[in-house]
Amino acid sequence: MNPPTSTVRRPWYRSRTVRRFLRNRLAVVALMIVVTYLLTALLVFGGMITLDDTEARVSAGSIPALFQPQPPEKRLEDCQFWLDELKKALDQTDAKAALGDVQFGAVDVASLPLPELRETHEQARRLDQSLAGYADLNDAPEAATKLVELEELVAQLFPLPEGLGAVQRFIELSLGTDRQGRSIALRATYSIMVAVQIGLVTAVLSVVIGGLLGGAAGYFGSWVDGGVTWLYTTFSSIPYLVLLVLIAYMFIGTVFDGTLFPVYVAFCATFWIGPCRTIRGETLKIKQLEYVQAARSMGFSQLHTMVRHVLPNTTHLMLVGFSLNFIAAIKAEVILTFLGLGVKKGPSWGIMIAQSGSEVVNGFFSQIAAATIFMFGLVLAFNILSDALQDVFDPKHV
Amino acid sequence: MWAYSIRRLLYNVPVFLGILLFVMGALRVNDPIYGFLGKNASEEEYKAFQEKAGLDKPFWLQYAIFVKGVITFDFSTESWDQPGLSVGERLRRAIGPSLSITIPALILSTAVSVVVGLVSAYFRGQGLDRTLVFIAVLGMSISFLVYIILGQYFGAYVPNRYFNREVFSIHGYDGWSQLNLPVDWAYYCLLPVVISVVVSMGYDTRYYRAVMVEETGRDYMITAQAKGASKPKVMFVHMLKNAMIPIITRVAITLPFLITGSILLETYFGIPGMGQTLISAVNAKDFPVVQAFTAVFAALYILTNILTDVLYALVDPRIRLA
Repeated sequence: MNPPTSTVRRPWYRSRTVRRFLRNRLAVVALMIVVTYLLTALLVFGGMITLDDTEARVSAGSIPALFQPQPPEKRLEDCQFWLDELKKALDQTDAKAALGDVQFGAVDVASLPLPELRETHEQARRLDQSLAGYADLNDAPEAATKLVELEELVAQLFPLPEGLGAVQRFIELSLGTDRQGRSIALRATYSIMVAVQIGLVTAVLSVVIGGLLGGAAGYFGSWVDGGVTWLYTTFSSIPYLVLLVLIAYMFIGTVFDGTLFPVYVAFCATFWIGPCRTIRGETLKIKQLEYVQAARSMGFSQLHTMVRHVLPNTTHLMLVGFSLNFIAAIKAEVILTFLGLGVKKGPSWGIMIAQSGSEVVNGFFSQIAAATIFMFGLVLAFNILSDALQDVFDPKHV
Repeated sequence: MWAYSIRRLLYNVPVFLGILLFVMGALRVNDPIYGFLGKNASEEEYKAFQEKAGLDKPFWLQYAIFVKGVITFDFSTESWDQPGLSVGERLRRAIGPSLSITIPALILSTAVSVVVGLVSAYFRGQGLDRTLVFIAVLGMSISFLVYIILGQYFGAYVPNRYFNREVFSIHGYDGWSQLNLPVDWAYYCLLPVVISVVVSMGYDTRYYRAVMVEETGRDYMITAQAKGASKPKVMFVHMLKNAMIPIITRVAITLPFLITGSILLETYFGIPGMGQTLISAVNAKDFPVVQAFTAVFAALYILTNILTDVLYALVDPRIRLA
């Protein structure tokens, strides 16, 4: 059976669907944003940022984003933080080795001889002592000059690196630090990988499961249909958060506790229903079409007809289901993590947002802003993308 | 109609039995007794507890007992975490606080979203419509948790500091008994209600706009315009009536969630509703409570689904329930 050769076959990238998609400027921009996120996730996955980087202290705690100027009290506090860290190392019996271990991201202790370090440290301490005498640092002009002097001394003890190190330092502090002094920028970027991982695994698995079950139910009908319908009615009759909580609860205390596995299972069990429903409906429609009957009458088996001729024609629904589930998974991660049942090791947007609840009360917004904006970009782009996909594939959709 | 309702009810019996089976199975994957007593519980303690909780019986018997309990509304099993309180009692206590938040939230968000959807459809394709749709998408892209955290900060902490007294409460609400005046309700519940309205606005507005836009293409709209009815009249009188069906459907679908409450909101605001009870039961490994709550949620969900279909037929004479 040779395919008819007379019709011109356009390559996929020049098909009508793609051209219609490209006409939607916003959707193209959204696609580019999504690709950027995916590439970043790939880089993180390849080791650009390791888990240890996200857990390491880079500076004093609660430094706001974008290098905002800070009140003198906080500046003094930060200076004290650096001095305390230095003192801890200097008080060790083997001060030399202890100093070698002191590292805050790209910043090390200055490579000065020990006596000189001690001398500068003492000098800074004296300044710090004299500053403690001021009730209000904002009022006294000489306090301000002393504070600047103190900061200069601290900068001598912990000099900013040069070259690539300076760039690294800039990135580390660009979005500030959380209360434990960990870099928000690194944590938020690392979380892209976590989110993409959760989104991709959940969306792919749930669409595959839903597609196969829905396709089989629609195509074979009878008891298969009855079984699948029963299964998804059952699962969708449990409120979705309750189902998530229930499944996450199942894994507490098992070997999978602490990995992402329970999250995947919970999400797949919840999110396969959507694609399953739509694909079952579409299959019911496609089954009636002539080309399916033609395939059957040519002697192809039921399974072959379903897999090769019916399911490929539901690809558009799978694509839409994929993007909807991707968004849903990323948003559900935040909720599940907040409830203490989601991501447990390493950073994620959910962990960052949940943690920032207590920071917001104290007027510190950097962490919640960073996590929200990072997440917002990805989810918004995917939202626009899935809308565009639905427009392209389903002209009736409004 | 009655025949239809009863048939739907019967059809959902295996679904409900399946849910109970799944829930009971899922809760037994990890031994619930060791979960509650801790890993170091002695053999005798374990045996005694197992017998007391009825978990030593074979699974099918436990299943039968639980199903019987649910059907006869017998929730007298004792909660593990709070001895002396039956599961039914905990359910009853939790339902009030949940409803005092979710019912006003549902009414408000439906009313506002329908109006915004109508306005958006009225100006379809124009600047206002595009802006509204875009804002809706923006709103949908932010996590619920962020709304709650920021809502609590700007809704409670900031005004409290500004007025130097508690304008809105962020914890301490524990049920009907505190609501003597409407002001009390505003003090305890207004903030969570507003937050949940804002969160659902994005989704609802988009849905209602889609409904309205679809209605505008119908023949009766052209007829109404042709006979000279003004555009606002066509939109708000002719169309809104016909758009009632999908609106009712959506509202009916959300009805079971009135009872589930919003798990997140309740946890964050410390409201002792159904959602928070479930979560705290999960954290305290309070097995009977989790089991019963899930069963009740599922039952409500199924019942409202049937109710929706029947309502549908009542509102729309074109639908025949066969």
